[in-house]
Amino acid sequence: VTFAVPAALWGLLAIPCLILLYLLRVRRRDHPVSTILLWQRSAPTLAASRPSRRIERSVLLLLQILATVALVTALARPSIVERGAGGGDVLLVLDLSLSMRARDVAPTRFDRARDEAMEIVAHLRPGQRAGLITAGPRPLVRVTPTEDRDRLVAALRELQPWDASGDVAGAVRLAAAHPLGPGGRIVAWTDGARGPLPALPRVAYRILGSSDDNVGITAFRALRDPRGAEALVRVENFGTRSRRVPLEVTHDGATTYRAVLDLPPGASRTVVFPITAAGRFTARLAVHDILPDDDSATAILDPAPLPSVLVVGPGDPYLENVLRALPVVRAAATRAVDPTTWRSYGVVILDRVDPGPIPPGDYLLIRTVPPNLPVAAAGDVRTPDIASWDRTDPVLQFVDLRGVRILRALQLVPEGGRVLVGGTVPLLWAYEGEGVRALLLPFALQDSDLPMHVAFPLLVANGLGWLGGGALDVRAGETLQIPAGGGTRARVIDPEGHSQLVPATAGMFLLPPFQRAGVYRLTSASGERQIVARIGDPRAGMVRPGPADRAVPSAPGTGDAGPLVTRASLWPWFLLAALGIIMGEWVLATRREGDR
Amino acid sequence: MAGRADSDPAAPTTPLLDPEFLQKLETLGLVSRKRIRGEQRGDRRSVSRGRGVEFSDHRAYQLGDDYRYIDWNVVSRLDRLFVKMFSEEEDLDVSFVLDTSRSMAAGSPSKLMLAKRLAAAIGYIGLVNLDRVGVTACSADAGPRLDRLRGRARVFDLLRFLDGLEPAGETDLLLAMRRHFAGVRRRGLLIVLSDLFDPRGYERALLLARYHRVQTFLIHILADEELTPAVAGDLRLVDVETGRAVEVTVDAEALRAYAQARDAYLSGVERFCLRHGIDYLRTSTSVPVEALVLRWLRQGGLVG
Repeated sequence: VTFAVPAALWGLLAIPCLILLYLLRVRRRDHPVSTILLWQRSAPTLAASRPSRRIERSVLLLLQILATVALVTALARPSIVERGAGGGDVLLVLDLSLSMRARDVAPTRFDRARDEAMEIVAHLRPGQRAGLITAGPRPLVRVTPTEDRDRLVAALRELQPWDASGDVAGAVRLAAAHPLGPGGRIVAWTDGARGPLPALPRVAYRILGSSDDNVGITAFRALRDPRGAEALVRVENFGTRSRRVPLEVTHDGATTYRAVLDLPPGASRTVVFPITAAGRFTARLAVHDILPDDDSATAILDPAPLPSVLVVGPGDPYLENVLRALPVVRAAATRAVDPTTWRSYGVVILDRVDPGPIPPGDYLLIRTVPPNLPVAAAGDVRTPDIASWDRTDPVLQFVDLRGVRILRALQLVPEGGRVLVGGTVPLLWAYEGEGVRALLLPFALQDSDLPMHVAFPLLVANGLGWLGGGALDVRAGETLQIPAGGGTRARVIDPEGHSQLVPATAGMFLLPPFQRAGVYRLTSASGERQIVARIGDPRAGMVRPGPADRAVPSAPGTGDAGPLVTRASLWPWFLLAALGIIMGEWVLATRREGDR
Repeated sequence: MAGRADSDPAAPTTPLLDPEFLQKLETLGLVSRKRIRGEQRGDRRSVSRGRGVEFSDHRAYQLGDDYRYIDWNVVSRLDRLFVKMFSEEEDLDVSFVLDTSRSMAAGSPSKLMLAKRLAAAIGYIGLVNLDRVGVTACSADAGPRLDRLRGRARVFDLLRFLDGLEPAGETDLLLAMRRHFAGVRRRGLLIVLSDLFDPRGYERALLLARYHRVQTFLIHILADEELTPAVAGDLRLVDVETGRAVEVTVDAEALRAYAQARDAYLSGVERFCLRHGIDYLRTSTSVPVEALVLRWLRQGGLVG
C-alpha cells in the first residue's frame, strides 16, 4: 500500500488527543446508592475506575479511534499497487544516460532499473509480450515485442549506460509509436534529470535517484596554438550545495597542474594552463559524489600531430619549405601520378596535376579538380577577391586572409561540400564523402601572395591536421568516419583494452559510436591513431532526479522492489469505513443515552 | 383488628398491615429463648412460680399461704398440708431498634417500609400477648422513640408511631443502641431492623446488646438493587447518607467483584452473629412481609 499524501498520516496524532479528551471529559453520571461501602471494599472494582480500564472497555472510544484512523488513512490517499505487467504488451524503456550510473541508488540507478525490468520480464504472463527500447544518445529498439523471456533478459544484461545524455523523450515517443494491444503499456526507467518527460497515454515512468550531489569535468582539452600548447579544464557543480574541489592534472604520473576550485551550486569554473610536454594528460577531481565516472578525463597532445604527406606535382618551393617546417610524420615528393603508391601516406597533395578519379583517401588539391568529386571548374577567373572566410572552422583557425591577393584561380562550381573561403568565387572548398576527404585550393601558390603571409603555414598545418592529423577528438555517443586510405580493415581498441575489427566500407572506416569516454586506438595499414572520446555533453553530469509526476511508485515494505504496474485507490473505501464507523458510534451513543 | 384500625380516625392513612394478615398474627406469640423476669403478669411463663394456671410442683404449706392453693387430694391421702405451685406467666419486654437512616429508603418497597411492617407485625403479636413493646428509631439525628406499650389497645399507637417514621440522617447503630439501653433496664427481646450500612461498623452496637444480656434478633434488610446492582457504564456512585462518591466503570467484571465483596460482607455478618449468639435473619425487599413473619420468623424461632 502506498500513500499519495503521506504527510496526512500526521493526523494520527489526533488519536492521543482523542484519548486525552476522553479521559478529561466529565462523562460520569451521578447515581445515588444506599452505600458505597461494598463498592469500596471491592478492590477489582476500584481497579475498574482506572483510566486505562475505561479506555479498554470503551466501545465508543474504540470506534472513535477506528474512525479517526480510517479518516486519516483516507486523507493520505492510499492505494494498493500490484506488481506485474498487467495484461497487454509491455514496452520497457531504459535510460542509458551517464547519470544513470549514479550510486545514490544501490548499486547504481541503472542496475536498479535493469533489475526491475528483469522482474517485469519474470512476471510476464503466458502469451504476454514485452519489448525493449533503450534511451541512449539515439533511441534504439533493442528487442521488438516478444514472448521470448530469455532474449529479453539477455538483451537487458548486455546494456550499459553511455557516457552521454540519453534521449529518453525520444525513446518514449518511439515506444508510443509502437502499436500496443489492449491493455498494453510502456514503463520507462529514468532519472528524469534532463528536462520534462512527455506525458503520453499508457506511459508510466519509474523515476530513480534521490540526490543531486555531483561535481564533474565537463571539458578537458590539450591544444596547440602558435604560442605553444595549453590545456583547458572545465569543472561544473551540478548539486545544490557549494563544493570545494581539488583538481589535479597529471602527465605520465607527474603532476603538471593542481588547484582547488570553489564551486557554488550550479556553477562551473574553467581553468587554462600552459603545457610543455606532449602525450596523455589526465585530470582528476578529488571529490566524493554519487557519480564518480565524470570525476576524471583524459586529453592528448600529439607529438606528431600531422600525418605523412606525399606531394604529387611539379614541385613548389613554398610548399616544400612549409612541409619541412611542420611536424609531419614524413614528407615525400613525386611527379608520377600513381595512386597505388598513395596508400602509405596519410595525406596526398595533388599540385596542378590531373590525377583522374582519385581513390578514397585524404587529399589537399591545389588547382586540381578530380572528376569524381562534386565540384567542377568552369574556367579561370582573374583577381578574385577574398570576401569572407569561416573563422570557426578548424581549417581556418588562427588564419588571417586579409590582404591576400590572387592573380588567377579556377572558377569552382560546387555541387556539395562546403565553401570555407568565399568571395567572387569559392577560394577554399572542403569535402567529405565516399571515402574521400579533400581540401581544394583553386589557385596555384605562385599565382598569389598567400605564401608570403603568415596565414599560409597555419592554413597548411590546419588543413593537414583536419585531413589526417593526430589524435581525434569525439564525443561519446558520436559515430566517426575515417578515410581508410586504401586499407581494408582497422582495429579499434577501447580504453579497457577490448578490440573490435572494423572493415572499410566505400573507402571509409565507419567506427561505431563510442560508448565510454576515454582514449581509443585505431590501428590500420596507414598506422595508429588515437581517438579521445569525451563525455557526450555537459548536461550528462546532471543527476538531480526529475519530478515524480506520472511516476510509478515503488512498493513500500518490499525494499523498493520495482515498478508496480497497476494501482488501485483505496481512499474511498477508507472514507466509507470512517463514515460507517462514525454512524455506528453515533447510533450506539444515542442508544446508550436513551437507555439512561 | 385491621377493620378497627381502618375505622379509627386516628389510624394511619396507609395501613402497614392488612386485616387478613392481622388475623393470622392473632394466633402467634413471641418466643423468648431465655426465661425473663417480667413486671406484670402476662401470657408468658416466668421463672417465678406463683399464680399462674400451669401446674408446676407441690410444697409444704407454710404459714401465710393462700388456702385456695392447698391440694386437698394430697391432704386426704397424706394427711399433711401441701399447696400447689403454678408457673407464673409474666409479660415480655419487646424492643425494636429500627434503622431510619436515609439508606433505608432504597428498594421497592423501601427497606424502611419493610422494616416498619415487620415491626408492626411483631409488635402487634407482642401487644396481643400482653408484652411490652417499645421502638427506638435509629439514626444519627437521634430519632424518635416510643416508650413501652402494653395491651392490645396500644396497637394504634404503635402503628401511628411507625407510620410516622421517615428516612433521614446517617446510620449510627451504636448511638441508637446506647439511647435504647439508656431507657430500658429490663432485659427482654431486642429486635434490630437495619441494613447495617453503618460506616462506623455494626459490631460495637451488637456487642452492646450482648453486654446487656438481652436476647437479640437481627433482621438484616437489603434491597434487591443492593444485592444485585442494576447499573452499568461510567458512574459516580453517591452515598445517599454521607454524600461521599466513588467513580467506577461498571461492567460485568466490576459486578462480579461487587458480588464477591457483598458475599464476603454478608458472610462476615453471619459469622459475627453466630459467634455472639445473635439470631440473624437476612431478607430483601422483594420478600412479602407475610412470608417473612409466618414462615421465616417462625422458622427462625422468633414467633411461634
